[in-house]
Amino acid sequence: MSPPHQPTSINPNSLKIQLAYRFLHNLNNINTKRSNLDHTQINRKSHRVKVAAYASMAFVTGSRRAWSRSILRKIRNRGVLARIKKRVDHKASRVRVHHHLNARSTKRRNPSCSNPNGDYIDPSGNLGLEVKLRKLVPGAVMMDACGLLDETADYIKCLATQVEVMRTLVDLYSTI
Amino acid sequence: MSSRRSRQSSNGASRITDDQIIQLLSKLQQLVPEIRNRRSNKASASKVLQETCNYVRSLHREVDDLSDRLSHLLSTIDAESPEASIIQSLIM
Repeated sequence: MSPPHQPTSINPNSLKIQLAYRFLHNLNNINTKRSNLDHTQINRKSHRVKVAAYASMAFVTGSRRAWSRSILRKIRNRGVLARIKKRVDHKASRVRVHHHLNARSTKRRNPSCSNPNGDYIDPSGNLGLEVKLRKLVPGAVMMDACGLLDETADYIKCLATQVEVMRTLVDLYSTI
Repeated sequence: MSSRRSRQSSNGASRITDDQIIQLLSKLQQLVPEIRNRRSNKASASKVLQETCNYVRSLHREVDDLSDRLSHLLSTIDAESPEASIIQSLIM
């Protein structure tokens, strides 16, 4: 019952199926962890479901796309950070977590933040819009205009399919 | 619009043509449902970008909303019920 691991071309059906498999797998992992029954945990659970959704999107797309790589990197960093926090005691953890946060943030952020190709599409009218788009699509901050549009198209396709999968699941679970 | 050509000649590193950008914009236009129904030659670049931003934002909001509902549903359905186990076995 393992999901197919070939890279999906443009076939939306196979993308949907792969997303559905992966998302259900992630959801199952969430469920089989500690059961959160009180209301304070509900928010955290919804956050975990959201992270699971983005994780399954990024996993199915793999390393082919910058946005999926960025999402996977963020999730991995978060996991490592959580493990560090658990292992070390409270006082020392504050110092070390601070160091790790600094190291990781400088790694992620490109020191040469000047974007020479940033305003390639049209500096007169569209600069603000392009910057907004770069902020919305993960990992697209330092791309040129051509790559940005391509990334956006792929991101929208995957995101829309993921939304469809989630909608179907919600309908399914609400009829039980 | 006339400044595109001068920028292209000055930026020799990335040889992106106007046609490529137009092509990508039209591809993006096909994906965004808001502007898909209109005739393609009427949508300007700024319109496409604006609608794309709005669409991505609305998709993000929808993911948040759906994950919220899903988490509520997951916590309320009885995990031991036979229907749930049947559905789980069918899907997985």
